[in-house]
Amino acid sequence: MAKERLYVVAYDIADQRRWSRIFKLMKGYGYWLQLSIFQCRLTARRRIEMTIRLEECMKPSEDHVLILDMGPADKIAPRVESLGKSYEAPTRKARII
Amino acid sequence: MRDRNQLVLPIPPPPADSETPLVPARMVNAWVYCPRLAYLEWVEGEWADTADTVQGTRVHVRTDTPAGRLPSPEELDDVMSQVRAVTMSSDRLGVIAKMDVLHVREGVVMPVDTKKGKRPHVAAGAYEPERVQICLHGMILEDNGYEVEQGAIWYAGSRERVRVKLDEDLRTRTIEAVRELRAAAETGRRPPPLEDSPKCSKCSLAGICLPDETNLFNRGYPPRPLNPAEDPALPLYIQTVPAKLRKRGEHLVVELKEETVEVPMVEVSQVVLFGPVSVTTPALHALMREEIPVSWFSTGGWFLGHTIGTGNGNVAVREAQYKVAFDARASLSFSRELVNAKVRNSRTMLRRNWRQERGTDGKEDALTGLERIARRALQANDFQHLLGLEGEAAAIYFSHFKQLLASEAEGFEEFSFTNRNRRPPTDPVNAMFSLAYAVLARTLTTTISATGLDPYMGLYHRPRHGRPALSLDLMEPFRSIVADSAVIQVVNNGEVKLRDFASNGPACSLTSKGRKALIAAFERRLEQEATHPFFGYRVSMRRMLEVQARLLARHFQGEIPKYPHYIPR
Ligand code: SF4
Repeated sequence: MAKERLYVVAYDIADQRRWSRIFKLMKGYGYWLQLSIFQCRLTARRRIEMTIRLEECMKPSEDHVLILDMGPADKIAPRVESLGKSYEAPTRKARII
Repeated sequence: MRDRNQLVLPIPPPPADSETPLVPARMVNAWVYCPRLAYLEWVEGEWADTADTVQGTRVHVRTDTPAGRLPSPEELDDVMSQVRAVTMSSDRLGVIAKMDVLHVREGVVMPVDTKKGKRPHVAAGAYEPERVQICLHGMILEDNGYEVEQGAIWYAGSRERVRVKLDEDLRTRTIEAVRELRAAAETGRRPPPLEDSPKCSKCSLAGICLPDETNLFNRGYPPRPLNPAEDPALPLYIQTVPAKLRKRGEHLVVELKEETVEVPMVEVSQVVLFGPVSVTTPALHALMREEIPVSWFSTGGWFLGHTIGTGNGNVAVREAQYKVAFDARASLSFSRELVNAKVRNSRTMLRRNWRQERGTDGKEDALTGLERIARRALQANDFQHLLGLEGEAAAIYFSHFKQLLASEAEGFEEFSFTNRNRRPPTDPVNAMFSLAYAVLARTLTTTISATGLDPYMGLYHRPRHGRPALSLDLMEPFRSIVADSAVIQVVNNGEVKLRDFASNGPACSLTSKGRKALIAAFERRLEQEATHPFFGYRVSMRRMLEVQARLLARHFQGEIPKYPHYIPR
C-alpha cells in the first residue's frame, strides 16, 4: 500500500508576497487548517518534493517553516483537542463531488 | 567475467548520424546497473519518481545551473577554473552528457559528477555504473579535443571525493555498454529482468517492470511483492451540476452553486465528469501536463470519451498487441480462457454471497450449470460458440442475482429484478449495473492506456467505433468481483434506497445522490486488498487491475507465454 504519513506544516514568513506564494504552494500539498498551518498526507517522494519547493520560495535568513511528522497516516489517530471547531485529519478516499 | 589475459578489442559503436538519437550518458550508467532499466526508461519512455530520484534531482539543482564558460581546447593552457553544467556530445560514440562540474587545471580537464549518496566502500572507489558514466564524460571531452587524465565523483551524502582512473579496462567496458544499449534500442529487443536481484527492491520501475512476475513463468520461483512506487492519488468525480473546474496554483478548484471545493492536484489520479461540467483551459492544460486523464460521461452515465495528454509513446507494445489481435488462433485461445474466467468468477460470486434467508433452492443447480459452461468455454471452437456460452451463463447468473440481495433491505422486493436489460435500464438494479460497468470500463481504459496498450483494439470484443474493446476484454473477469459487488454493497448496507432512483418513461436512472453512493462503494471496492491468485501477494484491487494490464502487455510482447486471467479462489 501507499505509505503516506501525516504532517503538520507551520510557517512564519516575513514578507507578504512570499507568504501568499507559499500559501498557494501548500494548497497543492495539503489542507489548510488555520492561519499559517496546513495538514498533509504525503509519501516520502512528495514530502521531499514539497521541501524542495518550499526552499525555493522562502528566504532562509528571514522565514521559518516547520514540518511536523505525526506518523503513518493510516495507523495513527492523532490525539487532538480542538476548541471551537471540530478537527478532522484528512483521509484517503476518492473525491465524489 | 572477462578473461584478463585475453586482449579485448574495444569495437566502438557505429557513429551516430542525424537519424540516431544520442544516448544520454546517465542511461549508459543505468544500462550497466540493469539493462532492462535503461531500456524501459530510454527506449520505452517509462519513468517513475521515487523519494530517491527526487532527492537526486535536489542534489543536482545547484550543479544544474550553468556557470562559467569552458574555454576551447586551444585557449586552455594557462586557465584555472571551474565550470558548471556543460552539455557536450560525441558523434563517434553516439552519446550526449550533461556534466555537473569540470575542473580545468594546466590544460587538463577533469569531469566531476555529483551523486546524492555516501561513498561506497568498494575496492574501485565507486560502483561500476558510476565509473562508467564518468569515463564516458571523459571520453566525450576527449572527442571534443580536450585532454583528460582522470575523472572524479563527489558523494554529497558523505562529502567525499573519489577519483576515477580512466584506464583501458574501464574504457573498454564503457564502449561495450554504449554499443549494447544502442543495439538494443535499434533492434527493439527488451532485455530480460534481473533474477532475484536485490537491485529490484530499490528500483523505481519495479512496479512497471514486474521482474519477479515475469520471471515466474520462466524460472518458477515465487515473486516478492515489489510495489515501491504505488501512487496514492485517487480519482476525482464531479457529478453535481452546474459545476466549474478551475486550477489555481497547485490545486484544483471545483465551483458549485453553494460551495467551493479545493483539491490538491497531486492527490488526483483521474478526473471523471458527469454531465455539463465546464473545465477551464488552464485546468485542462495542467491536467494534460500532469498526465491526469479526464473522462467525460453524459448526465445519464453514458461514456463519451477521454481527454489525455500526449499519451504513452510506447509503440512497440501496441504493435505487439495488434499482431496478437490479428492472429485468429491466438485471439480465440485468449477468449476461451477469458470466458472461462468470467463464468468462474460469477459462479464464485453466487457461491459466496448467496443470502441464507433466501433459501438454497436452485443454488446447487446454478453452480453446477456455471461450472459446466466454464469448462465448455475452454473447448469452444469459434467466437459464436463462446458468445452463446457467455449468454447461457449470464442467464443463470442474473436469474439468481436477487438471492444475493438482503431481503430486509427496505423496499427491496420492489426491485423485481429478473434479468439484465440495458438500453435503457428499466429497473433500479439494472440502472446500477449500467453505471457500475461504465465506471469499471472507464477505470480500465485509463489503466490500459497508461501501460501503452490500445484500449480500442480487443481480442474477444472486436473493435467497433468508439468502443474500448480491450477494456471490455480485461473487464470481464472483474465484472462480478468489482462492479456487481459494489451494487450488492450499496443495497445491502442501505446506502442506496428506492428514492434514489428516478423514472422517465420506461427508463430508470440514479439520482445524483444515488450515483454518488454507488461510485463511492465502487471506489472503496477498488481499495480493498486481495491476494493475487497467481503470485500470492496481497495488493489493492486498483493495483491488481494495473498488474493485469501490464502482464497482458508482457504477454503480447512474448515475455510471458500465457496470460493469467484473474480468477480468485
Ligand atoms: S525491477 Fe529489477 S529488472 Fe526491472 S528494471 Fe528494475 S532493476 Fe531491472
